[in-house]
Amino acid sequence: MQNITTLKWWRGMVLRTIGIVLIGLIICGPLAGTLLWSFAEKWYWPNVFPQEIGVKYWQNALSGQSQVMESLGISITIAVIVVLAATLISVPAGYALARYNLPWKRILLVLFLMPQAFPQLPVFINMTSIFYRYNLVGTVKGVIAVHLVISLVYSIWIATSTFKSIPVSLEEAAINLGANRLRVFFRITLPLAAPGIIASSIFVFITSLDEFTGTFFIGAPFIQTLPILMYTASMGYNMQYASVIAVLLTIPALVFMFILERFLKVEYISGLGV
Amino acid sequence: MRCFLEKMRSKFSTDGGNQLYGILLILPALLVLALLYIYPLFSSIVKSFVSDQGIGLHNYQKAFDLYWVDVLYTIGITVITLLIVFMIAVIVAGYLRFKRWPFLNFIYRLPLFIPFLIAGHSMRVFLAPHGILNTLLAQITGISELPGLAFTWIGLVLSFVWKQFPLATLLILGGFQSVEDSYIEAALNLGSNKLRAIWEIILPICRPTVLVAMVLTFVSTIGCLTIPLLIGPSKPVMLPIDMSFRINYFGDWGVANALGVISYLIVVGLSFYYLRYMLKKEET
Repeated sequence: MQNITTLKWWRGMVLRTIGIVLIGLIICGPLAGTLLWSFAEKWYWPNVFPQEIGVKYWQNALSGQSQVMESLGISITIAVIVVLAATLISVPAGYALARYNLPWKRILLVLFLMPQAFPQLPVFINMTSIFYRYNLVGTVKGVIAVHLVISLVYSIWIATSTFKSIPVSLEEAAINLGANRLRVFFRITLPLAAPGIIASSIFVFITSLDEFTGTFFIGAPFIQTLPILMYTASMGYNMQYASVIAVLLTIPALVFMFILERFLKVEYISGLGV
Repeated sequence: MRCFLEKMRSKFSTDGGNQLYGILLILPALLVLALLYIYPLFSSIVKSFVSDQGIGLHNYQKAFDLYWVDVLYTIGITVITLLIVFMIAVIVAGYLRFKRWPFLNFIYRLPLFIPFLIAGHSMRVFLAPHGILNTLLAQITGISELPGLAFTWIGLVLSFVWKQFPLATLLILGGFQSVEDSYIEAALNLGSNKLRAIWEIILPICRPTVLVAMVLTFVSTIGCLTIPLLIGPSKPVMLPIDMSFRINYFGDWGVANALGVISYLIVVGLSFYYLRYMLKKEET
């Protein structure tokens, strides 16, 4: 009898180990490969691991005047401006959607969801032709505009549900005590909404940092953000260089998203990794 | 301004005055969306009917003549991706609905946090003829020259599935977990096994969630440029590549927009087909 239970236990253990190895290989294999490539100074077929490992490509990429650092600077500048603009626009909009009886509210909500429910590429293409008329193609302004419209959907959703989660009774109590609406908003509502707004800002920052397709049409080849640089390197089979940038772009996304996961509801996560 | 607001306010009821503030607050967001999304969207539809031969279906004619293979290929790749994503998502979500396995629950989400571009690059490294997968397989099996999956339709589908299944799983698992235990226990007590309970009880209850997950997967697969660029075969290609090719090499906005509208129609058509199928099922 005891023999059978041990046998079952062993079978369970073996199956589970095979499962972990297989699932781990499928999920982590491609990522581990990219990580290895970023440290490989020499890696020829058919070696399973690089023959020479080192930080040469990392040093090159992170040294002061490298193209990578320049692109990182451009990417971060664009991302910060997009975060500020998106927050300024989506906080009032989210507050209005959560608190006011707006006419055609359903249509408005559908409108704000639309960029998610249709292929975006044709929109980017036509944005390019419109931006040509205003000399915005190949400028930082143009790239900021395209990142803004992509981020706006998520930041408005997050802002709306954040304000909805704050009880109206708190605001009413303050109004009864004689505060006006504006004061109530800045003293009561906004501080309570701060975690949601910070989460949304980080989310928008990463969306902008990793955005490729819109930048490819509006910005390239003049605005070399980090994803554009990575794409060029990968297409040119410059594997180490591309992998270093890929790891650089993945780290903030992984770190922030794991921290933020408990703040974010499933609906927003659909926007990850554009 | 204040006077104007007061006047507007007295015109509406108290609630109406509230409405006005609400509209003012939402106006910047609406303006940005209208200018940067709705305007280009309509422009893509309008321009698809305009060519140097005047207004008409010339662009569509040309798009179909040149790219009918790619249209079918795009639909095929997207549908195959969708079916595999659906199967994996239901299996993983079904497993996690009944059993706690923190390892799986953690690791399946990883690709969710990886941008499409980096997923494409990583798959390119992983699936290349002399890539990591083949190197490992060669060590295990001893066959040294295995064909690479990168730049084939299989590699393309695998990359899409790898990137897309976590979102579908996350959404569907959320749906599965909201199904009450009592329904499932009733089915299990009546002699059904867990697989049948998932298929016949849990899935039908979660139909709306599953539909949302599938539509999101479908739209982001059919509209994705980066993964086909980095890992797809050079011929036939997915429609987004044709669109960008049409613009970057020919400056041909008409045909590019016609292809864009065709991709809208595929999305609308498939959702419509699905909805009609579901309605019919409801009636019988």
